[in-house]
Amino acid sequence: MKSTAGARAVQLVFVTAFLGLWYVIGRTGAVSTLFVPRMEAVAAAFESLVQTDQFWAAARVTLSTIMQAYLIAIVLGVAAGYLVTRSRFLTRLLEPVISGLFAIPITLLFPLFILLFGIGPASKVAYGAAYAFFPIALNTIAGFANVDRRYLDAARSMGFPPSGVFRHVLLPAAFPVILTGLRIGFFICFASVLGGETISSLAGVGRNIALAAELMEPARMYSWIVVVIIAALLLNALVSAVENRMRRE
Amino acid sequence: MTAVETAIRPRPPFRWTVSVGWTRALIVACLLVAWEGWLSIARPSAIVQALFGTVFADPQIRAAIGLALTEVVSAYALAIAVGLALGLGIGASNFSRRSLFPIILLLYAIPQVILLPLFTLGFGIGPAAKIAFGFSHGVFPIIVNVVAGMQNVNPLYLRAAQAMGASRSDIVRDVVFPHMVGSFFAGLRLAMTMTLLGVILAELYVSTAGVGYFTKLFAETYDPAPLFALIGTLALMAIGLNELVRGIERRFTRWKS
Amino acid sequence: MTHRFSAGDAARSVLALDKVSLDVRQGEFLTLLGPSGCGKSTLLNIIGGLIEPSEGAVFVQDKAVRGPLPDKIAFVFQESTLFPWYTVVENFGIAFKYRGVARAEWQDRTAAALKSVGMHAFIDHYPNQLSIGMRQRVNLARGIASGTEILLMDEPFAALDEQTRMVLGEDLSVLLAETGKTIVFVTHSLAEAVFLSDRIALMTARPGRIKKTIAIEEAHPRLPAFMLEPRFSELRNQCYAALHDEIREAMAVESGGART
Repeated sequence: MKSTAGARAVQLVFVTAFLGLWYVIGRTGAVSTLFVPRMEAVAAAFESLVQTDQFWAAARVTLSTIMQAYLIAIVLGVAAGYLVTRSRFLTRLLEPVISGLFAIPITLLFPLFILLFGIGPASKVAYGAAYAFFPIALNTIAGFANVDRRYLDAARSMGFPPSGVFRHVLLPAAFPVILTGLRIGFFICFASVLGGETISSLAGVGRNIALAAELMEPARMYSWIVVVIIAALLLNALVSAVENRMRRE
Repeated sequence: MTAVETAIRPRPPFRWTVSVGWTRALIVACLLVAWEGWLSIARPSAIVQALFGTVFADPQIRAAIGLALTEVVSAYALAIAVGLALGLGIGASNFSRRSLFPIILLLYAIPQVILLPLFTLGFGIGPAAKIAFGFSHGVFPIIVNVVAGMQNVNPLYLRAAQAMGASRSDIVRDVVFPHMVGSFFAGLRLAMTMTLLGVILAELYVSTAGVGYFTKLFAETYDPAPLFALIGTLALMAIGLNELVRGIERRFTRWKS
Repeated sequence: MTHRFSAGDAARSVLALDKVSLDVRQGEFLTLLGPSGCGKSTLLNIIGGLIEPSEGAVFVQDKAVRGPLPDKIAFVFQESTLFPWYTVVENFGIAFKYRGVARAEWQDRTAAALKSVGMHAFIDHYPNQLSIGMRQRVNLARGIASGTEILLMDEPFAALDEQTRMVLGEDLSVLLAETGKTIVFVTHSLAEAVFLSDRIALMTARPGRIKKTIAIEEAHPRLPAFMLEPRFSELRNQCYAALHDEIREAMAVESGGART
């Protein structure tokens, strides 16, 4: 969305007002510093936090958990999605089922993952993978099932073997839709792993946020939150940029 | 035939003697039987037993479930009211939309779950935090849909109205508003999903009382049957709420194809 | 000699074609002409081996057709089936890939075919950078470049404006005269059928049968002047007379009437 100069000005005003308000609250003590610590305190805590080993260790745990979950979701989701589209019967049978299962808030099942996998990272990997599986599988099904039949006729008439049809027709045609599923799946992994860590975990970014709250160290908690916000915004910007570049091709 | 099937074998389609519905029922039945017979973790029979023996029998658990339901409904109502108001405000003019909407989208991009401990610090561990957290999840889809509904009116409709002599306020009332309403209803279901998500996350996080206490109890004492039963009940509640909203949506958007 | 003898009786849950029997001579331009839904596209697909008839068979030079024959039969479909994710030249390359044709050879054929339809300048473009008409011309060129004896064309000019249609029709006639290919052509257009064909097979409304065959004695390449001759109008009227009832019937079926 293109913003005019005026719009940008308003946004800038918002940001400065937000920061200003925060500063003023810190100064006047209008809100308990347990809930809203002073801006300077948070800045200091942030600065010291990113220099600790503990910070990088936690970040590593979270990132590796996310990547593992994502990889599993991709492999299972794309495979399942492709296999389902190999038969019309299977598609009619399973696609509504997968779509219906997705309607159940998978978050509800989180305690089950803890039960089965313990409170270590494995439960978060499983949870994130299970959650992200659905949009990836559903988009894969949609991508492969909606390939224009005429392309397939043309390919067959030119003597393509099934492997050729897959490589030169099915895959390129389905790719954009599958990619959207992969994007959604990534952000679901990101959010669900963080959520799982916050609720019940031994290590990782989410755990640290919850711990800081428990130990009544709001400045540290806020620093962690800022870290995640920065990461989230960067990832969003990165994905948008990549998508825009691909669309222009 | 599906596209893929056509590519591989140009045979005439298999004559389906078995309908899809029956096949699904059969598969579910087989899975249940297999589960009962072989999987040692929480046999379906044990789950059903726990459902009535533990979950429904214990007044505390019943209260927890009821409380969760109340929290969802309250958060949802709040999200709709505030979302509608904010959405109308932001979408009212091109300028307000261009300046304020990006802020909303930015906030939407942050995984709110990391703010969960903050919410409990601020609102305590009672229902207030859960309602607030559910609200903060559900309000965004409403705002986005209301703003989009005010913006995406097909210009042909606008031109047709102008040609019929409508003034600007007429157009807002008779063309833009109904369009926005349609978009609003379309967003209701997503808002319900998100509100549910928020409330559930909050409940699970607060493990000292409510639903979260019992899930943690059953999970960490490794008592699968009541855990399955409790989660199953909550899942049914979630599905029920979803279907309710979908029914309302269908009722009010019947004019759409 | 290319004898294509199809005694095809294709039935699915809907009877699409009913005891169709057809001989196509080598080097002739045969058009399947009929109302919507009469099964002419289905028949074409059966001839080309894309669909198996539920009864009957297709023979090319006395050999039964059991699947696509990329070395003998090339298709040109109605809307461009150029793969949008490949450039024009890549689209040609892929058409030859599974036939074991040497790179130099298919590149030559590609260049020649594109030049003959006037699209050589766009050889490195992507299909969505071209207009519909341009895309279809490239599609046609792909069929020509394939070098097969037999071309099956399913309403290839339907998406083009009339002027382009006429010009490309003339070019097609020239191609036939120069190469002696056998072309089976499907179209709705009576004028197009009369202008291009050596024989026209007129089909009934669904279930499709061949009602009548009309022969047209006029050498290829056909010149625009042919359209001005009184004979042209006569032939066209013959077609219309034969088809008129079928067209009405097809429309009635579409609007909900049932055929007995």
